[in-house]
Amino acid sequence: MVNEIFAKFHEVATSPRAQMDKYIAEGKKVVLTAPVYTPGEIVHSMGFVPMGAWGADVQLNKAKEYCPAFLCSIAQSILELGMDGAYDGASALIIPSLCDTLKTLGQNWKYAVKDIPFIPMTYPQNRKPDYGVKFTRAGYERVIRDLEAVGGVFDNAALAESCKIYNKHNEAMRKVDEVIAKHPEVSAVQRSDVFKSAFFMTAEEHTELVEKLIAELEKTEAGEKKQAILVSGILTDAPQLNEIFDEMGMHIVADDVAAQSRQYRTDVPAGDDALQAMAEKFAVMDNCSVLYDVEKKRVQLIVDTAKARGADGVVVVMTKFCDPEEFDYPIIKKACEEAGIPVAIVEVDRQMNQFEQIRTNLETFRDVISM
Amino acid sequence: MYTLGIDIGSTTSKCAILDDGAELVGYSLEIGGLGTDGPATAIAKLWESCGLTASDIARTTVTGYGRMKFEGADDEASELTCHALGGRYVYPQLRTVIDIGGQDAKVISLSEDGRMSNFVMNDKCAAGTGRFLDVMANILKMDVNDFGACAAASTEEVSISSTCTVFAESEVISQLANGVKREDLVAGICNSVAVRVAALARRAGVKELVCMSGGVAKNEAVRRALEKSLEVDIAFDPRAQYFGAIGAALYSYNKLMKQKR
Repeated sequence: MVNEIFAKFHEVATSPRAQMDKYIAEGKKVVLTAPVYTPGEIVHSMGFVPMGAWGADVQLNKAKEYCPAFLCSIAQSILELGMDGAYDGASALIIPSLCDTLKTLGQNWKYAVKDIPFIPMTYPQNRKPDYGVKFTRAGYERVIRDLEAVGGVFDNAALAESCKIYNKHNEAMRKVDEVIAKHPEVSAVQRSDVFKSAFFMTAEEHTELVEKLIAELEKTEAGEKKQAILVSGILTDAPQLNEIFDEMGMHIVADDVAAQSRQYRTDVPAGDDALQAMAEKFAVMDNCSVLYDVEKKRVQLIVDTAKARGADGVVVVMTKFCDPEEFDYPIIKKACEEAGIPVAIVEVDRQMNQFEQIRTNLETFRDVISM
Repeated sequence: MYTLGIDIGSTTSKCAILDDGAELVGYSLEIGGLGTDGPATAIAKLWESCGLTASDIARTTVTGYGRMKFEGADDEASELTCHALGGRYVYPQLRTVIDIGGQDAKVISLSEDGRMSNFVMNDKCAAGTGRFLDVMANILKMDVNDFGACAAASTEEVSISSTCTVFAESEVISQLANGVKREDLVAGICNSVAVRVAALARRAGVKELVCMSGGVAKNEAVRRALEKSLEVDIAFDPRAQYFGAIGAALYSYNKLMKQKR
């Protein structure tokens, strides 16, 4: 049964286009959501299926017309896929303003992909003060207006319902992360599929499947202990990368990955005004390289989580040319080393086809944490 | 009990045999690494030089970039692990290994008891590697092995400002056109590699005793420039290029000992 559930996650994670076609055939409209945080609850409440658009491992050709070579390849691959027609049929693409590259992605998208409207979600840098919350709310209101223009209908009561559905999904994702940490037999590839598939299913469908997996895993005896690691980064979905983690006998017991656990840390608070609650949720979100924080509390969270989950080491998966992550890395490294937790860094991008350097790096790291 | 270590790099293949993890019985090197008949030839040379055969070997470990494609070894291990083991075999007080190979550079920190505590690898770039020196040697129509002696005759080192191999190539050609002396240019080229690798070493943390391993270790000009840049003495052993193979043989020995326990 567990394998059947993992097979379903794998099928969805590896065939986003088929998922999109399925939803469109069911008469639903799909709205693409770019990294790092988009208000999925709003999209869902307005009758759309939100689908994550985090690019793919593709050769970048057309996107280079708009992007210099040193631009984050996640953003470039989103543009490439858009220009190549991979997202055709989507009603809109929401791009948040959470890093400089994402800001340019929206501007380029407007010119390069004319058939899929670009909806900007402009977040404030100072999100915690009242004026920051007001700014976030205004950003959401802009998203709502743009979604109304492509056929959506907004209702605050419907949003409150969607927030409950998303909070339930968050809870399931946090729980599955905890449960997988107790099951070394769950491979890095399988773990990645669980998280990646969340971008291509409705929150209700994904929650149901995740809850089934949790129930099955809780009935299963844990496998033999492996080298426990915490993985940090923006995106860690490259199959070859996860295969190397598995080959090296590494068990991901926790993550600080933007496309994984960072998505599910914060729930929408209770309140009469769901849209206001959404803005307040963003205000209390933390511990991420693209969420402004002078105290860099994220670093301590990584150390504390690694200790709590018994990680033997931390592997930072650095997306090439990702400035926010690169700025945080020296602080993470220093804090982990002070806490006696070994750290390795590997660099990835969306165009990689050779993983030998990563294999050597992780093989050495395995020796560092095990010898 | 003999153990064999094979290090298949990007440009050369090296082998070493240890007796009971202690005595270095023999070692060999062949030009030609990954994807060539270099490994087979290096092994054949080894048998010839030490009078042993494959049946005498209790366990074999393969390391280096060609390790995944090599068949016939009992274990494969990362070259960083093996260079650390091999370096420590030669220098029991070793704390830092600087390995500049054909296509990459690595710095390994060792704890007092000899365990690897940290490491850094260069990014996907030829600058600061043996490949950089090969490209420059090609422009200058020189054998890269002569770089050390040539640079020693330099009186006015030229600065190679670019950190990119392709751009540095243009820079060297321009300097040649300006009539700069070859020895000054070679000294600048070696310094360019050293500066790049020194930055990598500082990221890992440099603790003495420091040694160099890999083929570029033989280049005295790079060694001296690294010493100047890092402000430490860098130990050199003529077997530096074999540290990976020696470490692989030790890796095998350690595995056997672990099994016996």
